[in-house]
Amino acid sequence: MATKKKRSPLRDASGWVVVAADSVVGAPEEGAGDPTFARLRNPSSGGASLYLFGGGDAQVYEVKAFAEDHRSWFVGETVQRDGRLLFITPMDPLYLLLPYIQEAGAEGKFQPANQVVTDEDFPGCSRLLRCTCALESLRLVADEKEVANQRFYRYNQQKTLDWLKRKVERTVSVLKRSDVSVGGGVKSATYVRVKSEVDASDEDYLRYAHGLVSEYVSEDLSKELLRHLQLPEISSPKEEPPSKKRKLSDKPVEAGEDYTKFNSADFARKPQKKMTVAQKSLAKVDKSGMRPMSAFFGPKVKQEKK
Amino acid sequence: MPMSCYSSVTTVRLDAIKDAETPRVHSLPCEIEHDGPAEVSAYFSATAKERKHEKTVSFRGRGLKGQEVSCPKGYTGLILQEVHKPSSDQEDGVLKVSSVFNKFTYWNLDTPPSSDDGIVMAMSWPQVANAIHAPLED
Repeated sequence: MATKKKRSPLRDASGWVVVAADSVVGAPEEGAGDPTFARLRNPSSGGASLYLFGGGDAQVYEVKAFAEDHRSWFVGETVQRDGRLLFITPMDPLYLLLPYIQEAGAEGKFQPANQVVTDEDFPGCSRLLRCTCALESLRLVADEKEVANQRFYRYNQQKTLDWLKRKVERTVSVLKRSDVSVGGGVKSATYVRVKSEVDASDEDYLRYAHGLVSEYVSEDLSKELLRHLQLPEISSPKEEPPSKKRKLSDKPVEAGEDYTKFNSADFARKPQKKMTVAQKSLAKVDKSGMRPMSAFFGPKVKQEKK
Repeated sequence: MPMSCYSSVTTVRLDAIKDAETPRVHSLPCEIEHDGPAEVSAYFSATAKERKHEKTVSFRGRGLKGQEVSCPKGYTGLILQEVHKPSSDQEDGVLKVSSVFNKFTYWNLDTPPSSDDGIVMAMSWPQVANAIHAPLED
């Protein structure tokens, strides 16, 4: 970082500015308890990422950081130096469960979910099975067998690819729809331009949606999915770097420019921004836990390609 | 001693939310080397002007241009503040919701705010995330 002068250290009083799904703070179930941040294995990178469990583990949320250089907040009559904005959005727990199912699948036998979803490094992973519909959703990626009232699962790649394909297709349709439904508001305008100015093709949408979904699966599976979608592999994923002009340029964001290669290992070597202990405890392992959102800004970049 | 690497959790205390403040929130185009109290309304907000949807303010002698951004539908802005600072990696932390907000103003230094601004685009992330994550209907 081009620091001209020595910065004073951050004080510990700093907080987080967050945009969170209402369900995070909404009327909690009786006795559901407070939401908790926990680190889980990132299904794409294999490293640690930060997630949030809410509603007594009924829902798991992803935490992403939007960071720009040289930003700070005024909150009421206070200054908050850390100018990042965190997004806490509901996450499909199946993405997080999949690596465990897949790994166990190598053994080729049917196994109970709670036997498969264990992790010495990330004991929090078993909470994923408590998420609403998490168990039922396993059949989307695995064959299922019931013996003496107990369910057993075995990874099924074909099912998994079909599931991911549907995810990609739905993402495409949402991206396209958000193009159309521009109400003059700032929110959806970003996608309009993709369409009107750049005239994005169906393949552009498909590729972009594939890139978004790929942030939640292993690199191998991402490639398989590309084939499954009948998209040719692009020789160099660097082909479409996000616009420099856009400059979402906190260090980790730069590290994540290439979303197909985006993983915590990239970030591990990066110098950390100065953070409070709380922030470190939340973020430290991983910037991909609070993933910068560069991937999300991919499609606008297409302009550069032309 | 084998110990789980990532066993600690950080709890967000929701009980404080009913007492949470609803302050004005501004995103500034500079890093301010300070965390803590500042006379924002006296020296910043007081100079803010709004004309034809364009907000301007003078800050440290620089003219800033601003735009109001609302939280996406179904989303709430929160300020999370540390209550308990873990003394080690293994210790759990506690945060509380100290403030809530539904919109904020972000300020640019030279360029007038537009929908091209990253922070504005970021506001559509929840919608896209929903497409990626909501359960599939059969």
